[in-house]
Amino acid sequence: MTTIVEATSLKKTYMLGKIPVEALRGVNLKIESDDFLAILGPSGSGKSTLLNLIGALDKPTGGKLSIEGIDLSSLNDNQLADIRRRIGFVFQFFNLIPRFTARANVELAMSIADVSRAERRKQAEELLETVGLKGRMGHKPAELSGGEQQRVAIARALANNPRFLLMDEPTGNIDSKTANEIMHLVKRLNEEKGVTIIMVTHDQQLARETKRTVQMFDGVIAKEIVN
Amino acid sequence: MKTRDVFAYSFSAIKLRKLRAGLTTLGVVIGIAAIVALLSITQGLQIAITRQLQTGFATDTLIVSTGGGFGGAFGQGALGGATSSGFTLVVNDTEIINNITDVDTSTAIIQRTGQIKSGTIVQDVTIVGVDFAEYQNIYSSTFVPENGGSIPSNPENDRVVIGSRINDPQENGTSLFTVNSTVDIIWLNATGFPIVRNETYIGNVTAILPEIGGFGVGGPSDYSIYIPISQAQSFFGTDECNVIVVKLTDDEEATIDSVSAATKETFKNQVSVTSAVAVLNTLSSVFSIIQLFLAGIAAISLLVAGIGIMNIMIVSLMERTREIGILKALGTKSRTVLLIFLNESAIIGLIGAVIGIATGWGLANVVALAFRGGGLFMGNQAVASAGMTITPVLTATVLLGALGFGVGVSVIFALYPAWRASKLKPVEALRYE
Repeated sequence: MTTIVEATSLKKTYMLGKIPVEALRGVNLKIESDDFLAILGPSGSGKSTLLNLIGALDKPTGGKLSIEGIDLSSLNDNQLADIRRRIGFVFQFFNLIPRFTARANVELAMSIADVSRAERRKQAEELLETVGLKGRMGHKPAELSGGEQQRVAIARALANNPRFLLMDEPTGNIDSKTANEIMHLVKRLNEEKGVTIIMVTHDQQLARETKRTVQMFDGVIAKEIVN
Repeated sequence: MKTRDVFAYSFSAIKLRKLRAGLTTLGVVIGIAAIVALLSITQGLQIAITRQLQTGFATDTLIVSTGGGFGGAFGQGALGGATSSGFTLVVNDTEIINNITDVDTSTAIIQRTGQIKSGTIVQDVTIVGVDFAEYQNIYSSTFVPENGGSIPSNPENDRVVIGSRINDPQENGTSLFTVNSTVDIIWLNATGFPIVRNETYIGNVTAILPEIGGFGVGGPSDYSIYIPISQAQSFFGTDECNVIVVKLTDDEEATIDSVSAATKETFKNQVSVTSAVAVLNTLSSVFSIIQLFLAGIAAISLLVAGIGIMNIMIVSLMERTREIGILKALGTKSRTVLLIFLNESAIIGLIGAVIGIATGWGLANVVALAFRGGGLFMGNQAVASAGMTITPVLTATVLLGALGFGVGVSVIFALYPAWRASKLKPVEALRYE
């Protein structure tokens, strides 16, 4: 087991107009490979901020954050973009490109990483098959249900063999039955394929399905539970 | 992202909003079409006019006149009379000119507008008095008889040489005259009192000139009737000549310049000296200015199109903020986002330029056809009936320039929106509704 993410007294302060808002006030967190971590917490507790920092979408204002031993604060925008290619994102609102088919959406992630056309197509089809969308590859997001769209998003997140998946309320926008199916898929990815998963949620029940849960409150980690 | 993928991505974005992209492209099309149409038609016009002039020109000649260079030189009317200071050129001034270094020979021309009558047909013509021998010496390729006539060196007073269009005014192959036909020459004397008095004499056709075309700058013209200079002197009652045509020993620019200067000096700057080469050069520079001016006007419409592109790109940027966020979350570099947006604009510019060039070229040809039909630009009988046709010319420079300009303007106006798109922060872009 290797350490993938390590946060030490991680701080993030936003300026909301002229008022500084301390979203993270010193988070210490260590995530190892094969982990399945849930970050729980009420709105405004800083969990999404933490996820954005781990995903290299945003820069911390204090403390230290390293991914696979690389200190993110030392990186410029281009280098951060490179880091992002090795991270799989799954968003609450899917964030698929509407004009692209399911397959093209998955391929896009690989085209950004300069994967060849033939290889892209082959991998995209395999990934969509893994998430159970073999017969829906040619459909655009508008022709897919919420659950199916999230499966496409998961397939896209897995496209470049990411070091870990970051999921921001992945079941927040779909019905509970489909949410269970998605959770089942995610668990399977973690258990069978060894994909490290970090998932933000405010759903206690979902959190129990993971290996480990951290509870955030007011910009710090209040509690850690190993399930 | 590979170049090909950037292109495919940009293209998919354009395809999504066909109407919008189409209208934006239309702006470019109009601008480019205007530039191409105006430039190819003026270039065609320039070539046509230059060719016309060259036919009537001998490059080793100078034209000395008392009027403002062009008026005298073109010599269609009876310009080139006395200057304000009362200076006139007379027929014998050729002797002075012949003494100037590098002058081969020179000949005086007296001309008036008049009419000729043959049977019931009356034509307005230019009556030109020349020394047949000298004139033929200078314009040896154009002042020559056609179909059996001859141009005598020492003609009798009633001998006349007529231009081809006087012989065949309808330009349909019929001939009004043959050698030895007689022709009534009428001069409308409007210079003295009483104001109009017709003077007439009967000429005898000794030669008919071949068709020359052109405006006959000093040289033979299709619309003139040539009479011996001595006859012109007595007929018009004057020794004053309109122009003196000077033949040089060669057509080197140095020779032209030195003889021009010497001639002006000889006549104490009372004359103007026009060289065929100078007329062509002046014409060419006039056309350059016209082209620049027209292209400038057309370019303005392209700038308007550019602003349209900028507007559309900014709207597109706002609509696609989230998409940019997704691209960045997936690891797209800012530079690639910039390229995607510039590419979209470049594609629009390229399509617009290609369609615009085709449209402009088509338009130029339509205008040229209309011109051929009815003398659209110049109602001038001389131009229209000289059978001058304009063939629009699309040079490689104009073609590539239009292409480059269309794409260039599109890309330049997309720079700001594309830059803004590339600078979006991923977190904020993803949160954008």
